[in-house]
Amino acid sequence: MSVAAKENTVTYENTRLADYTYDNTIDRGSIDIPFALLTLLLLTVGVVMVLSASFARAYYDPGNTTGGNATYYFVRQALFALCGVGVMFVCSRFPMGFYRHISGIVMMVALALLVLVLVPGIGEKANNARRWINLGFTTFQPSEIAKIGVIMFFSVLICRFKDKMRTFRYGIVPFAAILGVVCFLLVLEPHMSAIIIILAIGMVMLFLGGLPLYWFIGGGVAGAALLGIGYALFPYVRERFYAWLNPFADASDAGYQIVQSLYSIGSGGLLGLGLGNSRQKYLYLPEEHNDFIFSVVCEELGFIGAILILALFALLIIRGYWLSMHARDRYSALVGAGITTHLAMQVLLNVAVCTNSIPCTGISLPLFSYGGTALLLQMAELGIILSISRDVPEKR
Amino acid sequence: MFKKRRENKSPASPNRMMLRRTLFLMIVCGIVAFIALAVRLFQLQILDHDTYESAAVEQQLRQTTVSAQRGTIYDRNMNILAMSASVSNIYISPAEIKMNEENPAYIAQGLADILGLDYNDVYQKTLNTESWYATVARKVEDDVTDKVREFKENAGRNAMGEPVADESEHKSLTGVKIEEASKRYYPYGSLASHVIGFVGSDDHGLSGLEFYYDDVLSGTDGRIVRATNANGTDMMFTDFEDYYDAVDGQSMVLTLDQTVQYYLEKHLETASETYDLQDGAAGIVMDVNTGGILGMASLGNFDLNDYLTISPEAQERVDRADIHTEEERDTLLEEERQLQWRNKALSDTYEPGSVFKIITLAAGLESGAVDPDTSAFYCGGSIDVLGRTDPLNCANIYGHGNLNLADAAKYSCNVAFVTIGLQIGAEQFYQYIRAFGLFDKTGIDLTGESGSLWWTEDVFFDKTNLSQLAAAAFGQTFTITPIQLITAVSAVANGGYLMEPYFVSEFLNSDGTVASQREPTVVRQVISEQTSKTCCEILEGVVGSKDGTGVNAYVPGYRVAGKTGTSEDVVYEAVHGTKKYICSFLGFAPADDPQVAVLVVLENPGPETQYSVSGGQMAAPTVGAVLRDILPYLGVSPEYADGEEALVDQRVPRLVGKTPAEAEAVLTDSGFTLKQTVGSGAAVTAQVPAANAKVAAGSEIILYCGEEPPTEPVEMPDLLGLSYEVARIRAGWAGLYIRGEGTMMKSDYVLTVSQSVEPGMPVEPGTIVTVTLNDGTKTGIF
Repeated sequence: MSVAAKENTVTYENTRLADYTYDNTIDRGSIDIPFALLTLLLLTVGVVMVLSASFARAYYDPGNTTGGNATYYFVRQALFALCGVGVMFVCSRFPMGFYRHISGIVMMVALALLVLVLVPGIGEKANNARRWINLGFTTFQPSEIAKIGVIMFFSVLICRFKDKMRTFRYGIVPFAAILGVVCFLLVLEPHMSAIIIILAIGMVMLFLGGLPLYWFIGGGVAGAALLGIGYALFPYVRERFYAWLNPFADASDAGYQIVQSLYSIGSGGLLGLGLGNSRQKYLYLPEEHNDFIFSVVCEELGFIGAILILALFALLIIRGYWLSMHARDRYSALVGAGITTHLAMQVLLNVAVCTNSIPCTGISLPLFSYGGTALLLQMAELGIILSISRDVPEKR
Repeated sequence: MFKKRRENKSPASPNRMMLRRTLFLMIVCGIVAFIALAVRLFQLQILDHDTYESAAVEQQLRQTTVSAQRGTIYDRNMNILAMSASVSNIYISPAEIKMNEENPAYIAQGLADILGLDYNDVYQKTLNTESWYATVARKVEDDVTDKVREFKENAGRNAMGEPVADESEHKSLTGVKIEEASKRYYPYGSLASHVIGFVGSDDHGLSGLEFYYDDVLSGTDGRIVRATNANGTDMMFTDFEDYYDAVDGQSMVLTLDQTVQYYLEKHLETASETYDLQDGAAGIVMDVNTGGILGMASLGNFDLNDYLTISPEAQERVDRADIHTEEERDTLLEEERQLQWRNKALSDTYEPGSVFKIITLAAGLESGAVDPDTSAFYCGGSIDVLGRTDPLNCANIYGHGNLNLADAAKYSCNVAFVTIGLQIGAEQFYQYIRAFGLFDKTGIDLTGESGSLWWTEDVFFDKTNLSQLAAAAFGQTFTITPIQLITAVSAVANGGYLMEPYFVSEFLNSDGTVASQREPTVVRQVISEQTSKTCCEILEGVVGSKDGTGVNAYVPGYRVAGKTGTSEDVVYEAVHGTKKYICSFLGFAPADDPQVAVLVVLENPGPETQYSVSGGQMAAPTVGAVLRDILPYLGVSPEYADGEEALVDQRVPRLVGKTPAEAEAVLTDSGFTLKQTVGSGAAVTAQVPAANAKVAAGSEIILYCGEEPPTEPVEMPDLLGLSYEVARIRAGWAGLYIRGEGTMMKSDYVLTVSQSVEPGMPVEPGTIVTVTLNDGTKTGIF
């Protein structure tokens, strides 16, 4: 983007041409500093929390993975975090035209991986679900790629259909077809939490894309109906609901995770036990450096610390939406809002699960939960937002 | 607003709509949802903080109890009556069994085998995987605990109990736990069982002194509290550990004397058999000067080490009973247990009968109503009492004739004592009852003391009806406990001081130093020393005179005073329709300086006894036997009056090795005579009876010089119905010797009533047969 273009007031009308070109990559604006700083700050705190939360399990090594090395998880997470920072800045260099260009490819790759993961030998089975592909040096979940794929590809379609989004043929059918295929593949894994997040992202993309609101009312009714059917058909769904409402009824089994998480959070009190002083992490709390890392945060840093972390996340999310609203073009706006929504979903649902505000399901906390490839993908997504921010006029 | 926007079809509208919708998302996902979560966190972390924290702490902390050692109970000579030894409790932690993937079936089988338990019972306990503590066996002895420890070590096996060759796969069983505990041992078994009492499975006293002094004996348990991880091992970097030291319980030294208690129980048991007692017996031996209890027994006894087992007779009653359900059987079993644990000496109230005349006598003398020298009574066999339609009868319906005060006591004359009672007067009589502490419990330091039951004052003080006062004067129409009676009589004997009876004289710290001591407690002086002295003299006549009702309690060499008593249980008769007699005797000695009092209460003599039912016939000999054993033991030396020494059996001196002449001289010196010397050797080679044998004084000894004593059996002669001297001579004719028990008094009425070898049985020459003597004339309700 030229300096001249930057100085002009950008309107959606005169950026339509730019929607299809990405040759103006030289001399773009700088990245949004507040967003980048918030990201780095949260990432740093997250890595420290992984150290604190994980060292007991790493030391006692009940699963025979760490060899008793207390810093096993921390070292890996720290390395991935460093790589992640690199990935974020690399991703922020690519122009948005490039992302738009490859959106379809990302979607195709995601679909291909979702199929591949189901193949025994490629997909790794754990806890009766086939969600992971092992690359030898690391593992990753294709569902993570599917999330970004849906965001990018839906944005392209919405930009292409424009006003036709109001119609059933364009506004519903293609999107529903894609979501249907993705969800079908995820059901085969099965991976409930990924389905929830991808459906939510899809809905939000359509909402932003201009789909008439009555569809959402219908969608809400359909969703509730689906939930009801699931509740009636699948016993494990019923068990989840029961454990959610009565975690202490079976505190040693079905309610164990929830109860231990509540003990951790409740133990924290106002000021917490102090960084590193969690007692629940001594093998009481399961997944303590993973899905329930926020419970350790609450226990160690207390209500004050937890609220501060949540405030940082809220600021990051608000800034993400703000940047999307000021994006140069519709594609950028859509992708930015989609990625921000994805981030918000993960944070909100994770904390809701930890506090037993919703039934228990496996959702990781972005920038905090242990997991290398997931972290890299999150950093890539945040990098895309930084790329969008380069095109935002400086004058605010 | 979105609706309005949809209708606006300007080209920019979708974009502006997108901005609005993004803004909407920003508000929902960036602000509203976070506020909701913050509220939720506030609820969990601030409002419910205490609840969750305490629940979390409870699972994070493991508490180990350090048992305080329970104090020892010693008798007054530091013999151990009750002591604790360390044992172990075996328990399992089902939660750890599950967590460490151990094999519950293997653990259940192993423990069941070692501890002799049912496999299924143990296995069921392993299934409650939420529990960290399920007791498998309590109070396991050390040798068995060692086996459990070995099993827990699980050498050469993995957690599943399978043998593994690789040493690194070996895992000890974390789910099996051994906990230190202590077990109470009672070295003397049933001795003083009702006094000592027993502890329950939690090591806390359930009865007796174990219960009364439980707080002192048990001390305070200590605890170790530490934080652990979910696997029960240490919490890294968290060296949180709190120690609460155990404070061992204090030991107690009793006034009770194991030897005295032994003699008391032994003679009560003999009485129980001889007199076919249906409802057991109670006995108390008290130091009259301190109130300290030297012995207290209640039959039947039970083994403190096995207190739940009832006696074979009681078991037979339960088995024979007409019961159908397990529940009824349990109820019956429980009733029998309660019965055997009941301390009759403390809990059972009864009408003391004539023994109570001691109190009437003391009250009469102290109040001046009677005088030992001038008072005179006439007994015509009965006396009319104001308020009664029938005259009150004396035990001797023909009447005792003219009596002085000493005679009245000696013959236990009801008519005389009614007269004394009436002379004292109802108000003054009750003043003395109160002063002797008979309205109140004695306050002895043992649980289960019952209270007495007396007429209310308005009935007793009724001027128009003196029958209550008249009956009370000879011990009827009220009930008291044996401990109340002996405490009151001790005051009569010791110079007039009512003492508070007690068991524990000293408390010792766990290191053996004295923590506190108890001095004898004088409640009050009831009568003067002079009155006390007079009472002792009069009461000595009851036992010491040949015509006294208490002669069967006579002990040669000791001045025994006492009083007989025979009463009917009117409540029992109303319920069962048959008569129940309670025969009692209270004796103390020496009469000139009383040291020890013995009360024996025999309940319900049965049809199998050859003795007539009477306190003088049954209880007096029992008290006599107890005194005869304990007085020398307590260091009271005998003082023999004229000829009394001849009544005491002597030990045969050792004569072997002496010349016949020397031997004869020794024999004569020690109160024996030489019957003959067999053989012509220069020295005695054998003697009959053997040296140190105890036989009647004056027995004729045979010496053998070089010849063997004969072994040809001789026939046991009939020695019944003879005086002791005649019995000795008659036994001597057959080449046999006697030894005496019972009433060793020189009196025309004291005759042999039993012999330890039945007449006609073949016995070796020189055999010593024990004969029991008794004055059979002392029969009657007195």
